[in-house]
Amino acid sequence: MAEEILRAEHISKRFGGVIALDAVSLSIHKGETCCLVGENGSGKSTMIKIISGVYTPDEGDIYINGHHYKRLTPIEAIREGIQVIYQDFSLFPNLTVAENIAINEQLASGKQSVNWKEIYEIAKEGLAKINVSLPLDAVVETLPTADRQLIAIIKALLAKARIIIMDEPTTALTQREVQALFRVINELKEQGLSILFVSHKLNEVVEIADRTVIFRNGQKVLDQEARGLDIGTMAFCMTGRKLDTSAIVFSEVEEAAAPLLRVENLTLAHGFFDVSFELKPKEVLGITGLLGSGRTELALSLFGVLPADSGRIYIEGNEAKIRSISDAARYGVGYVPEDRVREGLFLEQPIGDNVIVTLIDRLVTKLRLLNSKAKKEEADRWIKQLEVKTPSGELPAKSLSGGNQQRVVLAKWVARSPKILILNGPTVGVDVGSKAEIHELIRNLAGQGMGILLISDDIPELIQTCHRILLMRAGRIVKEFQREEITEQALNAELVASATTNAP
Amino acid sequence: MLNRIVKTREFIVFLILVALSVIVGLINPAFFSISTVFDTLRAAIVYFIMAFGVLPIIISGGIDISFVAIAAVTSFSTHMLLLKLGYEGGTLLYYLIACTMGLLAGLLNGFLVTRFNLPVFNVSLAAFTMWYGFNLFFIGATANFDLPAGTVGYYARFIITARDPFVGKTGLHVSIVYVVLIGLFIWWMLKYTTIGRGIYAMGGNREVAIRSGFNVPFITLVTFAIMGVLSAVAGVTQAFLSRYFNPVIFIGQPLDVLAAIILGGASITGGRGSVIGTALGVLLIQVINRALILTGIPVQWQRLVVGIILIVFTSIPALQERRARRIGHTTEAA
Repeated sequence: MAEEILRAEHISKRFGGVIALDAVSLSIHKGETCCLVGENGSGKSTMIKIISGVYTPDEGDIYINGHHYKRLTPIEAIREGIQVIYQDFSLFPNLTVAENIAINEQLASGKQSVNWKEIYEIAKEGLAKINVSLPLDAVVETLPTADRQLIAIIKALLAKARIIIMDEPTTALTQREVQALFRVINELKEQGLSILFVSHKLNEVVEIADRTVIFRNGQKVLDQEARGLDIGTMAFCMTGRKLDTSAIVFSEVEEAAAPLLRVENLTLAHGFFDVSFELKPKEVLGITGLLGSGRTELALSLFGVLPADSGRIYIEGNEAKIRSISDAARYGVGYVPEDRVREGLFLEQPIGDNVIVTLIDRLVTKLRLLNSKAKKEEADRWIKQLEVKTPSGELPAKSLSGGNQQRVVLAKWVARSPKILILNGPTVGVDVGSKAEIHELIRNLAGQGMGILLISDDIPELIQTCHRILLMRAGRIVKEFQREEITEQALNAELVASATTNAP
Repeated sequence: MLNRIVKTREFIVFLILVALSVIVGLINPAFFSISTVFDTLRAAIVYFIMAFGVLPIIISGGIDISFVAIAAVTSFSTHMLLLKLGYEGGTLLYYLIACTMGLLAGLLNGFLVTRFNLPVFNVSLAAFTMWYGFNLFFIGATANFDLPAGTVGYYARFIITARDPFVGKTGLHVSIVYVVLIGLFIWWMLKYTTIGRGIYAMGGNREVAIRSGFNVPFITLVTFAIMGVLSAVAGVTQAFLSRYFNPVIFIGQPLDVLAAIILGGASITGGRGSVIGTALGVLLIQVINRALILTGIPVQWQRLVVGIILIVFTSIPALQERRARRIGHTTEAA
């Protein structure tokens, strides 16, 4: 095995009463791609922060390039060649590509004047290191995410990186961009750099890893050569359980009933084309597909954010003209957005107020003033019903954990008793335990008669909640899975197939 | 290269400026006279200087309105002091004393913002109110017309003169040279110094600027120092051009200056802005003024027109964003 560059031994870290890492060891060798896999809250982010010097471990030792550290500072980590590429890339959106690449060197040189010729030379040199070409004059904010990521990688290289840590690097990339990133990673490997690739997307891990390390609940549960490791084994290690749907009780869909929602030939330019489907009462219909498949655009169209260009929508048999969010709300359509922090919650406002905001028009006195008693009753009822864990509805929404915040967002729409509820990635960034509870909640809501559209690319989630699943690719529905056809393998195979053919 | 220039905000402002001049010139040929050019520039001089002074603060993501008060307090107190001492010399001493005061006043703002982390707008609002109050209460509440002998002729010192068929002998005031020098200095500072790039970096992403190792507090102090000094220059210049010192000079003007900067392509949230754009923005507002006079439209319309142009300009990027949103694919986040 190649030379070991970094070894973290028996690292433990506690935050208050929570054990984030429990005597975990991790080593990285020269020229390898090590994938660190785990669910949210498994301790992988804590590990990154420890080996980059942001956190000091409570126990354990770190060895880098043969140097022993009991506590590592960020500066020492950088000097030892450890570079972390965070999801925000740490770039200046208003400056050009060249300047973003060269700015660290400019600052490190201590020079007070700027030599633009030199800046362009540094930038060109940087681009050459990973064999890519980017327009040096372009302002970074005009570039796609993938290009910004390349700039961040180049910055890391110019800072003499030996280990590059990429934290969920593919989150915002299209499939083609992921492939381009993998080419760059392989190039870096050939130059002798080591990559720590942190992800929970198993199909990507299978593709890129030399060695795979899996964390669960602050412990290392697997550390082995990636060859021969399949997705099923990894999923089992990550969650600690086999996916078993036999115990799950799905609501009985009323097959004979008229559809709640019928969509015919719906089309949105640049979004999706000729989409038709039906949703029955008590049914959970999954819509899946990769980033850019049109799944989010479809959801936003049905909720009136991006009104469709052509096609028809029928709700309970009557044609519905949905041109705005208030149209959608009037027809009884609710939408729980993907990004709950930005689009779903008033973080600074009390939890109770967040819950009742969709019904505020019903909670007024004769004088059209807010009835604070009714308001509190209604809020408390929903907080109880959706089991939001909080000592009081008066606390701000930001005091809640991710899972509980998501419940508040759900409560907000459920409180309005929609006929059709669209959920977009309802458990993104939610820990495993809350995830199962939210899935239970989704099944219960359907059981009460609601029709639910679930947009997600989380395969276990789809399996555990959906009666039927539609697969989208390049804006079209390409496959429909019935309940009995839904298996992890089948879904995975189709998603991976999309990945290779999705490129327009 | 040409393609990129054509797309810039600066170029659009330039086009509007040209178009407006042509239209006004067709309505009233007097607009195309050399004296109009000289007079427009003369009226713009102090606004150029103030706008150049505030521009770095705006680019860095800050905001200021106290610059007008600093212009007033530095020029008026310098004058009252020298008057008391019986000074009879030229303008240089005025500039030196006022600039020193302006430097200190700017640094005071910067100090409050950096040392105590106070919100920059609150500090500038406080300074705005405080300096005008200070002027009126401690220095004097009425305008003063007694100029020292060495400065009396300064208002008519021209760098070039010409004969104009309508008004006869006309000239361009020498202080336009200061404008050019100051403009060049700010341009150079923004483009060719590490501090200048730090100003843009701060405006683009303050957090990343700190993490990258820019000395953000120091850069903030520099921007406020520049603002203080240039406000003083503007205040003294205004007094000599109009031949009297006014304790509440510019009190209604801070928003006009900020409007000019934003017309010229600067972003109020920081990160964008240029000297050339700012200069064009100042000129555009002056030309609108003059155009209204020459076409016989009441001058009260000036603010309405500037406001409309600002709204149109501000909505262009927002409209572009909405179009991009409809295109969908690119905006989906996982």
